[in-house]
Amino acid sequence: MTIEATDALTLPAGAEPALDLRVDLGRALVLPNPIGVASGTFGYGFEFAHLIDIHRLGCIWTKGTTLHPRAGNAPPRVAETAGGMLNSIGLQNPGVEHVAASYAARFAAWRVPVVVNVAAGDVAEYVAVVRRLEGVAGVAGIELNISCPNIAHGLDFGREPAAAARVVEAVRAATSLSLTVKLSPNVTDIAAVAAAVESAGADAVSAVNTYVGMKVHLGIRGPVLPRGTGGLSGPAIKPLALAAVAAVRAAVRIPVVGVGGIRSAEDALEFFVAGAAAVQVGTASFADPGAALAVLDGVVAYARREGLQRLTELRWSPPPAGD
Amino acid sequence: MTLATSLQSDLGRARDERGEVVSVERLEGGIVELTVRVPHLAADARPGEFAQLRCAAGIVPLLRRPMSVAWIEDDCCSFVFEVVGEGTARLAALRGGDRLDVLGPLGAGFTLPRAGGTLLCVSGGLGCAPFPLLASRAVAAGARRVVVLSGAATAARLYPAARFARGAARVEVREATDDGSRGHYGRVTEMVLDALAEAPDVLAACGPNPMLATLAGVLERAADPPRLCEASLEAPMGCGFGTCLGCALPVRADGAAAEPAWALCCRDGPVMAMERVDWAALRALPPASVA
Repeated sequence: MTIEATDALTLPAGAEPALDLRVDLGRALVLPNPIGVASGTFGYGFEFAHLIDIHRLGCIWTKGTTLHPRAGNAPPRVAETAGGMLNSIGLQNPGVEHVAASYAARFAAWRVPVVVNVAAGDVAEYVAVVRRLEGVAGVAGIELNISCPNIAHGLDFGREPAAAARVVEAVRAATSLSLTVKLSPNVTDIAAVAAAVESAGADAVSAVNTYVGMKVHLGIRGPVLPRGTGGLSGPAIKPLALAAVAAVRAAVRIPVVGVGGIRSAEDALEFFVAGAAAVQVGTASFADPGAALAVLDGVVAYARREGLQRLTELRWSPPPAGD
Repeated sequence: MTLATSLQSDLGRARDERGEVVSVERLEGGIVELTVRVPHLAADARPGEFAQLRCAAGIVPLLRRPMSVAWIEDDCCSFVFEVVGEGTARLAALRGGDRLDVLGPLGAGFTLPRAGGTLLCVSGGLGCAPFPLLASRAVAAGARRVVVLSGAATAARLYPAARFARGAARVEVREATDDGSRGHYGRVTEMVLDALAEAPDVLAACGPNPMLATLAGVLERAADPPRLCEASLEAPMGCGFGTCLGCALPVRADGAAAEPAWALCCRDGPVMAMERVDWAALRALPPASVA
């Protein structure tokens, strides 16, 4: 049983303090609760719609979507590691036209907001994809993927604050939708990139995308993934992601969406402590399709038990710099 | 290519079920047969479909292990595998009464021969897994005869012949070993041409991808191949239900497509028409066990 914001707000006067789970990601995108599912781990929601009640989710962040359809990388594309997995999918997706013309109408019939994750190889392509999604019913917002490690130039925009700002400025001018920028952890200073995209007009940031990793197979004396490296996700990266969220939180005023290795309510609560306003459950959904809903139920139960009205009450205040 | 509209399997039938382990049998040669009480899967699974078995409550191994449904009896399903790593070691260490999360049925299964028809099964090593259920369902559907060609490296690693038939009439097993310790001395694929002379209507194959590629070559050279040839393929999987896009397999591109064409093992397969697979490209890939 979950207590959604709308239910909580209608509690009669005199009842225990209402728990408000809503998360405002700007430009009229208000998530009903802060537990969503991460890009690349949930497709466009259609498969999971057969397996779980997707309408209880706070948000679906879709598979990375490009201007043209992409067939993806040569296999093998996934490799399991200790407490995690590497992937090198290569942004296989049907292209924005198909998403806008076919999928979006199905999103529009859902109660859960659907934010389309947008990936591209250059600024013009980012702008073209975002323009195609503008005004399309069912598209609740944009998440800008400037951090895919598995395609040529996928990381180019995410590595350097000025380059990140340039693409965000161009996209900001092309969309009226809520714009979240998904940050790469494969950078020298993630906080600097976060600050740059905030200045360039992002409504929120999500942190973090996968970490570049490698799995080696002694039998073939080489890496398992044909491109050598892939993106590491899963519980193995949780401490790294928490540190990134805390660093980003300290650098920006816009909401931070935390992502990286969350598979339990406790994990999600740790991200709220580190400064997240919402979280994405990712790889955990592969092993347990109901993982995000279990996280939601556990977070709500915790909040009720602790008498919280908003999850931001959990937020930790770092000691002042210089201490 | 679209992601949703090309759905081959019927995910609407899948359910994540908490099963109860009934038995874990250890056969000769390291083959394990795990039987789990899973009423939904037992009622619904078809030959060649698979389930995702959760190996651990913790984070190692993180992902489930895909297993073909080998046999169904009452409300129980059996899975056949060998221990190759941490996940299968944990499954083999289960005991009667243990709980096991089983998500299924998943994927596309085998086509049954029509009543009065004949079925030729080609099994390499642990590729035996889907054939007990397929043989029995084929016989139940009125197949006149089922021939199973079963190959392994050595006699001890052959799946016991009686387990293919499980009492069903009209199921005949012919064996091959790489070292000649039982049956035909050589590869199981070397027995296929003789079996094709008996004019089976349907051929069903399962085994390591290189064996299946060899079989595809045999079928290409055959004068009068079966009207339908299907193979159950393998690929490292993340989710098993078409979302992670991890289990890509090379398929023959339509016309003059510039991009390579991939199918998903979990959704478009694991059972695919053999003519659809790009066997040369598949043969060039590292073995699925590498991941």
